Amino acid sequence: MTHPKWAAGVCAGLHAAGSRHVVYVPDNPLSHVLRILRERYPDVRTTIATREEEAFGIAAGLYLGGARPTVMLQSSGLGNSLNAITSLLLPYRIPALIAISMRGDAGEWNEAQVPMGRAVRAICDAIGIPHTTAESAESAGETVRLMAQTAFATRTAGACLLPRRVTVPAAASAGGRA
Amino acid sequence: MSVAAARDRPGGGVRGWARMNRLDATRCVVQALAPLGDVPIVASLGHPAYDLFAAGDRAANFYTWGSMGLASSIGLGLAMARPDLRVFVLDGDGSLLMNLGSLATIGWTRPPNLVVIVWDNQEYGTTGGQETATAHGADLEAAARAMGAAAVTARSPGALDDAIARAAAEAGPWVIVAKVTESAPSVKPPLDCVAIKQRFMAAIGRAEPGTEGEAR
Repeated sequence: MTHPKWAAGVCAGLHAAGSRHVVYVPDNPLSHVLRILRERYPDVRTTIATREEEAFGIAAGLYLGGARPTVMLQSSGLGNSLNAITSLLLPYRIPALIAISMRGDAGEWNEAQVPMGRAVRAICDAIGIPHTTAESAESAGETVRLMAQTAFATRTAGACLLPRRVTVPAAASAGGRA
Repeated sequence: MSVAAARDRPGGGVRGWARMNRLDATRCVVQALAPLGDVPIVASLGHPAYDLFAAGDRAANFYTWGSMGLASSIGLGLAMARPDLRVFVLDGDGSLLMNLGSLATIGWTRPPNLVVIVWDNQEYGTTGGQETATAHGADLEAAARAMGAAAVTARSPGALDDAIARAAAEAGPWVIVAKVTESAPSVKPPLDCVAIKQRFMAAIGRAEPGTEGEAR
C-alpha cells in the first residue's frame, strides 16, 4: 500500500519535532499515519485511548515525565476533549501537538459531522489554542513540524488541522463517501 | 448526614465497623512512600488533593485543580514516560467512574510501575456528598481486575499498608480500592498550576525545558 504524501509528512513532522509518543483516538485518514509510524518509526510509541479526553490526560502525564506528546483525533473528538484542554493543559501550560483530522469541511457527506467540524477553529480561538491548517499534501509535514516546534518551545498546546481536501482528496472532489 | 449514618444507610456497603478516614489513609500512603524519596504522587482534584497536601506537602506531589477523571490517565502517561519510577495516583471513586475507560487502557498497556489508589467514599465528597454508583454496589476492584490490572480492596489501615507494600514491590499495574469516609479537609494546596508543575518536574528529575537557563 502506498503512503499518502500528507500522512508521511505528518509522521516526519512530529518525529522531527522530537515527539516519540502519539496518543490517539483513530479515524479513517489517521489510519495512514498510524501505519506509517508502525512501518517507518519504530521509536515512536502509539497508544490508543478510549476517548479523546483520556488521550489528553495521558499526554499530560507523558509531558510531566519529560516526553513531547502528540495527540491525534478526529475533529468530532475535540468536543470530548475540552475540559481536559481547558482545565489541565492550559492552566498548567502543558504542551502537546494536536493533530486534528477534519470532518464536516469540504467533501463531507455526513451531516452529523458538520456542526463540530465547522466550529473547530472558533473553539480553538475561544479557548486560546493556536492552530494552523495543512493546506496541501506537500506542505503537511512542514506545517506539523513547525506547529510542534512552537508548541514545545513555548509550552503551549498547538493544533494542526488536516482538512479533508488534503486527507481524502478523491472524496472532496467527487462528493463521495470515504 | 453523619459519618455513621452514611455508613449504615441502605446501600452504604460497609456496616458494623468504622471505615478509614481519607485523611488518615492519605497519611498512611505518604508515610509508606517516605523511604522511597521523591516518588511521584498524582492527586485527583478536590478533596483527594487537599488531603494529600494536608498529609504532607512534597515537591513530587502533582495536585490537579481540574480535569476531573484524568488523574489515572496522567499517571499512566507518566508511568510510560518514566519506567524507572513507580508512579502513584490518588483518585476518587466519582472521578474514576467519570473516566472508566482509563482502566481499560491501563489494563492493556500494562505499565508495571503504575499504582492507582482509589479513595472510595461512595459519594461525591467535594460537591456535597451525593452518592456515587459504588454506594449502590458498583465494584471498582472487580472492574479493574476485569480490565487486566492487579486489584485489591483495602478496608482498614493495616490492609492499606499491606496493599501499598505489595504494589510498591511487585509488578503492576495496581489498582487499590480503599474504602474510606470523608475527612472534611480544611487546607488546600497552592493554586499556581505552573508552579505545581515545575516543582513536580524538577523533583522527579525532569526539570521543565526553558526553566533553568543554559550555558553559552
